Amino acid sequence: MVLLKIEDLKVHFPIRGGFFRTVVDYVRAVDGITFELSEGETYGLVGESGSGKSTTGKAVVKLNDVTSGRILFEGQDLSKLSFGQMKPYRKDIQMIFQDPYSSLNPKKRVVDIIAEPLRNYERLSVGEEKKIIQNYLDKVGLSPDSMYKYPHEFSGGQRQRIGIARALTLKPKLIIADEPVSALDVSVQAQVLNFLQDLQKEFKITYLFIGHDLSVIRHMCDRMGVMYRGRLVEEGTSDEIYENPQHIYTKRLIAAIPDLNPESREKKTHLRKRVENEYKQYRSKYFDDKGRAYDLKLISDTHRVALP
Amino acid sequence: MKKPILQIENLTTSFKIKDKYYMAVDHVSFSVSENEIVAVVGESGCGKSALALSIMRLHNNQRTKIEGEIKYKERNIVSITEAQMNKVRGKDIGIIFQEPLTALNPLMTVGDQIEENLTFHTKLSKEKKRLRTLELLTQVGIPFPTRTYKQFPHELSGGMRQRVMISIAIACNPSLVIADEPTTALDVTIQAQILELLQSIQKETKMGIILITHDLSVVAEVADRIVVMYAGQVVEIGTVKQIFAKPLHPYTRSLLNSIPSAVTNKQRLHVIEGIVPSIVNMNRDSCRFSPRIPWIPRHAHEESPELHEVAPDHLVRCTCYKHFYFQDHRGVKITNGIT
Repeated sequence: MVLLKIEDLKVHFPIRGGFFRTVVDYVRAVDGITFELSEGETYGLVGESGSGKSTTGKAVVKLNDVTSGRILFEGQDLSKLSFGQMKPYRKDIQMIFQDPYSSLNPKKRVVDIIAEPLRNYERLSVGEEKKIIQNYLDKVGLSPDSMYKYPHEFSGGQRQRIGIARALTLKPKLIIADEPVSALDVSVQAQVLNFLQDLQKEFKITYLFIGHDLSVIRHMCDRMGVMYRGRLVEEGTSDEIYENPQHIYTKRLIAAIPDLNPESREKKTHLRKRVENEYKQYRSKYFDDKGRAYDLKLISDTHRVALP
Repeated sequence: MKKPILQIENLTTSFKIKDKYYMAVDHVSFSVSENEIVAVVGESGCGKSALALSIMRLHNNQRTKIEGEIKYKERNIVSITEAQMNKVRGKDIGIIFQEPLTALNPLMTVGDQIEENLTFHTKLSKEKKRLRTLELLTQVGIPFPTRTYKQFPHELSGGMRQRVMISIAIACNPSLVIADEPTTALDVTIQAQILELLQSIQKETKMGIILITHDLSVVAEVADRIVVMYAGQVVEIGTVKQIFAKPLHPYTRSLLNSIPSAVTNKQRLHVIEGIVPSIVNMNRDSCRFSPRIPWIPRHAHEESPELHEVAPDHLVRCTCYKHFYFQDHRGVKITNGIT
């Protein structure tokens, strides 16, 4: 079943200038993208910085204004809702942020951080609230006495887990994870990734996983979309994208992933040179005269590529 | 046998915390030869950046104590004066910092920042300096050197800024460059370009590079030798081939097993139990990795572990690697992590 459907989403930011600070142009951060997430799957959005992947994620929770297009969550178009009307849906869509150091309020205790979403939606007695929070702390592997500590007393991985516990308390159906492990060390990253997978199994959560680390995305996601300058250039299952990239930009991105096997160094350099030449030669073929990627076309049941 | 450019022997860097000194870099020894890339790998807090700053002597000398020897071409740079060190820094040893936006001066143009280095270390005329700077900008692959010369760092993209950092580091043709996480803040495609650039510069100048990173896949791409650090100590040292084909120390093996590699299938990632010990309350006498592999019996570890040579140029600390295996959540042995 489709949980979230994004249709021709556009997020444009005005550039102001001139004498009266009039709008002179727009930054087309997201420029018409369409994709959908089924219940219980993990969908990855990859792209380089500035490709609009985080803007897309934020638009879904309405942290950004939507210029045009529709965001259908269980059939309801979120983009048209007012702040107040959005309230019941905020409960179902939660977000995990990239930087565990700046996304937790340093002046609040862990208990208040985790209980904040809960207090917005439910009237619970202190005892009930405490029980729920203890339960979630246990789930994310933090000891019960960490409830009355402050964020600075925790390591990066632990903080990210506090952020995850906060996202979980309202039993959301969809979690938008905006680069949840980019700020973490490899071993801590492994811990958080395993943990996100366990939660998915337990609560049947759907993830929109945003990231720039292609090996992490491949590890986590069933399907993924590759973004470039506000447009999707390719979409398909992880295997299709990695084994059989069709768009020149995807090819280049996949070729750039560093390889763990030192023996295959030369092969890799060779491949990169070839892809780079191809990129230089055929680049214009893959983009229209304004430099925009074409609309996606189906090339197999699940694989869509932006070809003319 | 290649001539070593830099020889580090028993380097110990201690920081003063509440009137007591604590070792952040603990008796580290290794060397770098010309035309060689030595990667120093470890997680945050393992002392790899402290090591880099010790070589450059960039620590606050009121609160830091550096012992041991750092021999740059037979000359011990630990004991020389600050004025002498200023002549080494930037001229003989260059450094590339992680975050180019904070490492570059936002109020100076790119050209001025590169020339600053040349002014300090050479006696070139103004015009010659300008030409050299433009030449450097071309060398690091900046598309419009004359325009970039007059631009400020904020006008450039992350990849371009990192290229400017590299051009500053190599301005005086140093024989050694320390690259402290040079690609961590960059996108994969840019990362690939920057790594390629470093390699091509190295080919021309035959300089030695110390690459400090936490990203093992970057190491596999470019390095010749690897130094794995944990809690301030070197736990394993060897050539890239040795370490990736036959990692021995439990820490190295655990790290390699926790990477979601782009090639393998969706297995569960290995998680290293516990946390990195803080330098203040750390048990320094036993194997420092032992609290994180509690299922390995105590007798497998050594008292005050030493580095053992297991193959030519391949050193491993402690004897616990002989007994180490991975276990699943039920405590059943699954693999020893050596394939």
